[in-house]
Amino acid sequence: MSHRKRPVHRPKIRMKEAEALVWALKTHQVDGIVGERHIMVCRMKEVEEKLESSRDQVRALAASLQSVRENEKAVIAREIHDEFGQALTILQLGLSWMAGKVDPKQQPVQEKIRSLSALVTAMIQSVQRIADELRPGVLNELGLVKTLKAEAREFEGHTGIRCRFETNLGKATFDRVGSVAIFRIAQAALTNVARHAHASRAMIALLKRNRHLILTVQDDGQGITKKKVHSHHSLGIIGMRERALALDGTLTFSGSKGKGTTMTVRVPLSRVLIGKESVSS
Amino acid sequence: MNARKRERRRYAKPGGETYVFRLFVVGAESNSTQARGNLARLCEEHLKGRYQIETVDVLKDAATAHKNNVLVTPTLILIKPFPKVTVFGNLSDTRQVLAALRLIGDER
Repeated sequence: MSHRKRPVHRPKIRMKEAEALVWALKTHQVDGIVGERHIMVCRMKEVEEKLESSRDQVRALAASLQSVRENEKAVIAREIHDEFGQALTILQLGLSWMAGKVDPKQQPVQEKIRSLSALVTAMIQSVQRIADELRPGVLNELGLVKTLKAEAREFEGHTGIRCRFETNLGKATFDRVGSVAIFRIAQAALTNVARHAHASRAMIALLKRNRHLILTVQDDGQGITKKKVHSHHSLGIIGMRERALALDGTLTFSGSKGKGTTMTVRVPLSRVLIGKESVSS
Repeated sequence: MNARKRERRRYAKPGGETYVFRLFVVGAESNSTQARGNLARLCEEHLKGRYQIETVDVLKDAATAHKNNVLVTPTLILIKPFPKVTVFGNLSDTRQVLAALRLIGDER
């Protein structure tokens, strides 16, 4: 017995209807596709809504984690500064006292005290540096603009890469969360320049442009690849992007071989600015 | 056919005429439910007392869907008055749906 194949049903559809159908599919207004033998129920709209909601949750979680991390860092910085800093200062004073008490003729003891004193001084400086890295205290004292300027200078000193800083913001006051986020992004970008760019020059710019605060970190190195920008292994970039998103901002990279890399963060001024700014050219 | 006659055929005659709709949906899915609600609201607002809606759940009656060349749900077919019109989607764009059903002039 032979089975004759059923003729394929080809529904007729006019051009105008086809356009409307494509539009309905594109805007996820369709929840069922009627086939010849089967009916497929598709829940694209719900899935998209759920996906967007879970993305929002992940972003909120990331922002909350960043905030917790910053708070923890601040606590650790305070503990290090207060506990170790104080103990080392007492140790330094004790060594000075001992140096005064020891007979100057006892040359080896004097020598030992001097070397220990130098070691303690180096340790005090290290503690200060670690505490500053954990919580950039200068941010509170100097504000974001001057801290970034100091960071550029420090970067140049550490790496030998010439680093310029530009801004058109005068006495602007930024809120704590915003300024920490911008500073950390700049710090991470500079770390990337030092580690990966093989650059000889870098530039940080913090500019106000049309109700937006724009941070740019540019270098003349080998240029970042698109693959690197979107790689899930680029944890530094992911962290920077999360910080920008937490401020309703965006982070973009542009790079090409031989022309270096430009990282741009664009954040609404309303999210970071609390004081009146005076813009200088 | 001259321009005036063509214009007359584009718009529904005011009053009197009963509109017959066939709405194809799939179960209680979100767009289908929205389409049901939107159509009922549109009819109440613009065609009070002179409309008929036949809702076809394609999961229960696929044959009618095939007969009417229905490809996706929700699909709304205006059976009467002639000419037949097909609208896809959840009917949330009121202006566009009213224009397609010739209940207002097409402003696009």
